Amino acid sequence: MRRLLRCLFVSTGLIALLATLAVCQATPRQPGELAWAIHYDPATFDPAKVDEQASALVRYLTGGVLLRTNRQTQEPEPQLAESFQVSAEGTSIVFKLRSGLRFSDGAPLTSADVAWSLRRVLAPSTQAVVAEEFLLPSEVTIDTPNKLTVTVHLPKRIIGVDKIFDEIAIEPANRPSEGRVSSGPFTVTDYKRGQYVRLSRNPYYWRRDGAGVQLPYATSVRLDVLNNREQEISLFLRGDYDLIDGLSSDYFDILAQKAPGSVHDLGASLNTEQLWFNQSSDAPLPAFEKAWFQNQGFRVAISEAIHRDDLARIGYNGHATPAFGFISPANKFWHNAGLKYPHESVSDAEKMLAASGFHRSGNQLYDSFGHPVKFSILTNAGHPARQKMVILLQQDLAAIGMQVTVVTLDFPALIERLMHKQDYEACLLGLTNVESEPNSMMNTWLSSSPNHQWNPSEKTPATDWEAEIDRQMQHQASSSSQHDRKLAVDRVQQIVADYQPFIYLVYPNVLQAVAPHLNGVKPSILWPGPVWNIDSLRLVIGAR
Amino acid sequence: MKKRAPAVILLLLLIGGTLVLLLTPYDYTFQDRNAIMAPSSALHWTGTDELGRDRTVRVAAALFIGLTGATAAAAITTLIAASFGLLAAFSPRSIAAILMFLSDVFLSLPWLFLLMMVRSMLPLTASPLQTAVATFLVLAALGWPACARAIYRGAADLRSAEWMIQGYACGLKTRQLVRLHLVPHLRPLIFPQFLICVPAFIMAEANLGALGLGVGEPMPSWGGMLQELDNSALLAQSHWVYLPIVLLVVVLLIFESFVSEVDTNA
Repeated sequence: MRRLLRCLFVSTGLIALLATLAVCQATPRQPGELAWAIHYDPATFDPAKVDEQASALVRYLTGGVLLRTNRQTQEPEPQLAESFQVSAEGTSIVFKLRSGLRFSDGAPLTSADVAWSLRRVLAPSTQAVVAEEFLLPSEVTIDTPNKLTVTVHLPKRIIGVDKIFDEIAIEPANRPSEGRVSSGPFTVTDYKRGQYVRLSRNPYYWRRDGAGVQLPYATSVRLDVLNNREQEISLFLRGDYDLIDGLSSDYFDILAQKAPGSVHDLGASLNTEQLWFNQSSDAPLPAFEKAWFQNQGFRVAISEAIHRDDLARIGYNGHATPAFGFISPANKFWHNAGLKYPHESVSDAEKMLAASGFHRSGNQLYDSFGHPVKFSILTNAGHPARQKMVILLQQDLAAIGMQVTVVTLDFPALIERLMHKQDYEACLLGLTNVESEPNSMMNTWLSSSPNHQWNPSEKTPATDWEAEIDRQMQHQASSSSQHDRKLAVDRVQQIVADYQPFIYLVYPNVLQAVAPHLNGVKPSILWPGPVWNIDSLRLVIGAR
Repeated sequence: MKKRAPAVILLLLLIGGTLVLLLTPYDYTFQDRNAIMAPSSALHWTGTDELGRDRTVRVAAALFIGLTGATAAAAITTLIAASFGLLAAFSPRSIAAILMFLSDVFLSLPWLFLLMMVRSMLPLTASPLQTAVATFLVLAALGWPACARAIYRGAADLRSAEWMIQGYACGLKTRQLVRLHLVPHLRPLIFPQFLICVPAFIMAEANLGALGLGVGEPMPSWGGMLQELDNSALLAQSHWVYLPIVLLVVVLLIFESFVSEVDTNA
């Protein structure tokens, strides 16, 4: 029996060792192949049904599009369309396709394919997320006067409509192939669930470089499914991966020491990290707590008591920028440089609390009814920077007499509390902004939106300032004057800074690692980061 | 002397921890924001953590919190187990079978998930002290079945012992029999159960803490401090990051040696 047990232990140990070694090995690289990690399996390869980032990346790498937003200039550039023309009223767009376009299987690509792909995206049965951006997708019509012309008729003007076409991949009409037949630089050729997705070069890709060499340069792309940051970094250091997008601030400095020149801090991203209080009148909280959270002075005082420099320096090891508004300075056009916001000052915070009916006895703050000010802040587990920030906030708020309990929950449990039960007091989370365009933030700022986190899905705006935000956001969404739009968005930024429904903390910086043997990278803070010009990336000859 | 070494080491750890907590000018929540991940120095003997908190003070506090909590939880669980085991041993066989079946059901439950479930049901505003008390109470409430079964077996043997029958024959009442004969005979059985529970609960708290479900921040705990080991970037910055796990292993070994010694003496 003992011998049997010993054999069992030894064999289990060996299996575990072999499994560990196997996991540490990346899939063998093919010649000329680019490789990096994605953190989970793509949910779909159907480009019309993409609703998460791994699938969106595969669509970006395989899908040919009419227009692509240049991630450096943030301007749309013609791709499959040679040119495009938006009518003066903004209700129709005419695309002229390039001649001689082909899909990856050699079949010609014509206006019929474009129309079919657009109609598929717009059809309610497809449930394409991108369709919502057309505002009234059922009323959009498409004409194809000839094989090279496509006209899209819109029921009403859509601001930034050209950017929507960056997300619509053109597929062969009536032959949806889930990326296996594509019009973009690569096609899906191999997928092993939980291991990797391999994309091969499209031999009929339309684009050539200045010397007439057909793009893409890379023969293939391998996206390893790997949700382990440590392992991703060691594989990058070993040369098995060519890049890491969204590098964690914890590892940035270590990687900078081990592989100097390969890591890049591109400065503030468009993303924000913020704290907010539950202001919903339906929340299962005591009335006195709701009164605190709905009190402008209370929120402003908290904002004044927070040491944002410390959050950036300690929480993100210096790889974040203190934040005071919802539009990052990286978003140069829409950022309100003249924003007046509550400045850091504990004494001002104490005065503000006193003016709002709070008083202090010893180290504890009390409201006017004598309730001690105690509340919890939720954040998600597995995010070291947020966990550090929330403990720093705990001490910052203790300085003005508030007792804060830190609660970390796994993400599904957190979302359940925030969105469904609304059973929480305060929350620290981040918001990812993929686009610089304020229209993409409508789902946060409109009071009727489910993502209006401090008081989601209000039937009517609960306060005058929320009603004003609604008005200004609607105005910027419908105005044809860029100047008017800018004024409206600046006004919303000021209202948010005055009323602090979200107390902005930091803009995490964009951190990337790019191997020295990868040429052609043009840094961008916009998604998909270093691979936005994937067709121009290539390995230095002899590197692999 | 060799047999006393573990107890001496534990005593030294406790004295050292007490001195650290009494003599250092900081408490375990104090954040020195200008000394993030500072190396060891006269101010911070084992450096600071990534929030600038003194590591020595936090490790000492975690030692006391872990030991106190686990010892109290072990005492409660041993009491529950002893009561349950004795009740089963001195009940009619059918009732004993039902009670032991109940204990088996408890044993077969996925206790880690139960712990996580119970712990996550605590109100969000529970203070760090309340979370610590709740964590160890939950451990005590779920840890008794294995001990109860061992005590039941021992007590059932004693029930049919000759001296027991002789005691009844001499007219001793049940209460007198329990106090004068049963408890002294059960002590060698119950005490090791208690000693086994202490390191088990220390480990369970460490596991829960590492999952973010243990003692709430900023109160230090083994589990909370072990979370640092999950970050290789921190490991590269300071070897003192390993201090909590080294101390945890030492404490666990000490309790294991206590159990071995009691077993040997028995």
